[in-house]
Amino acid sequence: MDVLVFKTNLLRKKDVKVLTPLFESSDEIIRWNVDLKDIDKILRIEATCRLSQEIQDLVKKAGYDCEELID
Amino acid sequence: MRARDEHKEAIVKEKALEMLVIQGFDGFSMQKLAKAASVSPATLYIYYKDKDDLIVRLGIDEGRKMTDATFFKFDPSMSFDQGMRVQWKNRSSYWLQNPISARYVEQIKHSPYREKVVETMSAEFKEVMGQFVRNAVINKELVQVSIETYWTIAFAPLYNLLRFHQEGKSMGNRDFTFNEEVMNETLELVLKALKP
Repeated sequence: MDVLVFKTNLLRKKDVKVLTPLFESSDEIIRWNVDLKDIDKILRIEATCRLSQEIQDLVKKAGYDCEELID
Repeated sequence: MRARDEHKEAIVKEKALEMLVIQGFDGFSMQKLAKAASVSPATLYIYYKDKDDLIVRLGIDEGRKMTDATFFKFDPSMSFDQGMRVQWKNRSSYWLQNPISARYVEQIKHSPYREKVVETMSAEFKEVMGQFVRNAVINKELVQVSIETYWTIAFAPLYNLLRFHQEGKSMGNRDFTFNEEVMNETLELVLKALKP
């Protein structure tokens, strides 16, 4: 299992709601959450494989910034 | 997922506690913590789900340490005097040796995170201290008063001395350092007050 971490510009719960159906339709994503209290608005994803590009594309398509933070 | 590095994790915890105590919950960010602990934000999010998760889990860990320290060599079947001496010694040692941790537990208790953390600690306190207090009342070593009155007389004086110590000053800005002599002097009066 991989933990992927992205810096985003998701600000409110409604922004997170926009992404919900996109992530929930994926079989590879086990768990995900957005840390709205943190300055970097971190999107954290636990997935069965490395999906970094797919996730960044998905979030950007929905109209938000999304940049992977590499360990 | 790569293996967790325990040494790294210990540094993260230590820095996080320091920052949370000094800057408060609102001033704290994962990015600042990552810088202070020399790890990447991505690493932090491998350990913790989000900022709230980190705050709560640190609280549970530190609460556990405090509970263990409080009950070190303590047995609820001890005589009341002996048990109170052990408790005062344990509680003051913990406070003096782990000032950041003690302040963090206090901070959690006065915050919205309280419920999530305190419930993990209170069961053991309630059970062990409840038994100690019940025994003391049955053995006629302790006056029968409400649990709030008991706690206020039994422990609040100690925490007040420790607070003076933490500030380095008592009333009227007098210099103050906690020591065994002042602790015992206060404890004797407490024991006197709680005798039936």
